[in-house]
Amino acid sequence: MNLVLVGLSHKTAPVHIRERLHFPEPQLPQALELLRTRYEVRESMILSTCNRVEVLAQTAESPDGVHQLRDFICSFHKVPYDSLRDFLYDFTQLDAVRHVFRVAASLDSMVLGEPQILGQVKTAFTTAQNAGAIGATLSQLMNRAFFVAKRVRSETTIASSAVSISYAAVELAKKIFNDLKGKTVMILGAGKMSELAAKHLSGAGVSKVLVWNRTYQRAVELAELFKGEAIQTEDLFRHIERADIIISSTGSPAFILNKADGERMIHLRKNRPVFIIDIAVPRDVDPEINKVNNVFLYDIDDLRNVIDANLRQRQREAQSAEEIVRQEVDLFLEYARARDATPAIVMLREHWEAVRKEELARSRKRLGSLTSEQEAVIESLTQSLVNKMLHQPISELKRLSRQTLNPDEVAIIKRIFGLKD
Amino acid sequence: MNTLFLRLTIALYSIGLLHSFLTIVTRKKTLFRVALAGIGLGFISHALSIIFAWIELDHPPITDNHGALSFFAFVIVLAFLVSYARYRLESLSVFVFPLVFILTLAANLISSPNAARHELLRSLWFYIHIPTTFLGYAAFFVAFSAGIMYLIQERELKRKRPQAFYYRLPSLEICDDLGYRSLSVGFPLLTVGIVAGALWASRSLTQPWGGDPKIIWSLITWLVYAVLIHYRLSAGLRGRRAAMMSILGFVIVLLTFLGTRHQGSAHSFIQQ
Repeated sequence: MNLVLVGLSHKTAPVHIRERLHFPEPQLPQALELLRTRYEVRESMILSTCNRVEVLAQTAESPDGVHQLRDFICSFHKVPYDSLRDFLYDFTQLDAVRHVFRVAASLDSMVLGEPQILGQVKTAFTTAQNAGAIGATLSQLMNRAFFVAKRVRSETTIASSAVSISYAAVELAKKIFNDLKGKTVMILGAGKMSELAAKHLSGAGVSKVLVWNRTYQRAVELAELFKGEAIQTEDLFRHIERADIIISSTGSPAFILNKADGERMIHLRKNRPVFIIDIAVPRDVDPEINKVNNVFLYDIDDLRNVIDANLRQRQREAQSAEEIVRQEVDLFLEYARARDATPAIVMLREHWEAVRKEELARSRKRLGSLTSEQEAVIESLTQSLVNKMLHQPISELKRLSRQTLNPDEVAIIKRIFGLKD
Repeated sequence: MNTLFLRLTIALYSIGLLHSFLTIVTRKKTLFRVALAGIGLGFISHALSIIFAWIELDHPPITDNHGALSFFAFVIVLAFLVSYARYRLESLSVFVFPLVFILTLAANLISSPNAARHELLRSLWFYIHIPTTFLGYAAFFVAFSAGIMYLIQERELKRKRPQAFYYRLPSLEICDDLGYRSLSVGFPLLTVGIVAGALWASRSLTQPWGGDPKIIWSLITWLVYAVLIHYRLSAGLRGRRAAMMSILGFVIVLLTFLGTRHQGSAHSFIQQ
């Protein structure tokens, strides 16, 4: 394993630098081809999104993998290295593994835990695979990275909370109603904001949309958009109790709904809860209404508070996620070492078994006829000689594969015993 | 054999206790799958312990404190597993796991007076009375837990400052639904239990038994739940008030179960 990663991201580089290094998708196969033919790169992939550009490679066992990848990025985009020096980061070996895991698990994203990045990494991997740039090492690494991302999603709640106003509203609605299927949403005031919120709620499963507006015609237009129902201007209070969710964004200077309206609604609804989202400024709904049992009122600031809390929650969850990444990096290291050591052990055994058989066959002719007992003694004598001789190096190889950090040591042992990859 | 399995059960339930403790302290999802496996295996071991006790005693092992506590813990785990299968609510475990651990541990600490079996307790009505009442109580405990979860989640939503509970607890709808369903299972069971108890008493007891404090409290419990169910069905009582009544109901259940264990009442047979 000789992993190298060079790249930049929203954390190290401003957008005008990032866009200069962007690899457009159609050029990726060509870029990967260039990496393979011009540089000492065995396997590679390129991740290029609006927030990051990264080149990951398994290079030949030479120390200047980082330089090679830097050189590749600069010459491909025809940018002098000096202008990029401050923006590029590089990771090798274990650090590269950790970085890849963190990126896939969305721990390095601008919005912590956002889900798009995993899809982007998967696409980058498939593209590299189709270009024939992926071999055993990167394939194992990336599949593990996908697994880590999945573990982080299922074992932490890092990605489960909403970080936009519309999604926060949907999330709150689900905390009240659980399932939005069969629920009715009523829009008061046919503006852009309420249209957007209604769109998200419809997407989340709300069955019926009612629209009320100061001018009836506009209500009809918006209702058509959602295949909903427009409410006559004077009929608002005849229909309002049908709504499970009310989104209000009228231009009214005074409250349209007060506490008494809330009490009346809950009475008519036989205590079924109502979720009111007041995104109007000045507000449409008297905040006192939140004191009525089973009425839940959120204004625009409340929704922002929820988003802030969600972001803090993601930060907390990120700690558990980092712990998962730590475990997985250790595990991957163990696999990688075992992979490096096992073939060496097998080769060592096979090589000396072949030597033993050869030597035995040669000497056997000179020994003449022997009893079967004597044959067995010679057989076991030669075998135990080989075993005794190999005992130390093999147990050392096994020890190395479990503990020490230096992968060069395995290479040294291979060299001493004349083993080739 | 039954004590052996009961001890194994306690060991397995202790994983659940650990889970609840860690979940409350760290406010994070900890060890849930392990704990669920522990509770599941513990349930099997618990069942074996009860079966062996039954074989050893030659009658259902619910006629003494030891057996009754153990059996009560067993039906609570049963109620939890049934509601988990339906709702997948991990939060419920925080209420259930410590309680079953404590009940099972208490059962194990009370020595089992195997020989002291009262002739009066050898009645079919008695063997119906105990399991139905206990199953009813277990269902009420689930309703109680759902009620508490409802109140906490409702407070989070009303205060508009989401904290750990907001993320961990289920939606109001689910809490309310779980509470309602538990009541609609628990209430008929309690009714059957009370009727069976009355039939048993009228056939077996010679002294007057109507003034027994446990019986009076049971009737109060029954009335509270009857009122709650009536208003749920007729007036759509739900949400906060229904949750508070479920909690109140279970507090009365606890008073009935624990507070009326003194001598000289029909129910003191169990102690003698």
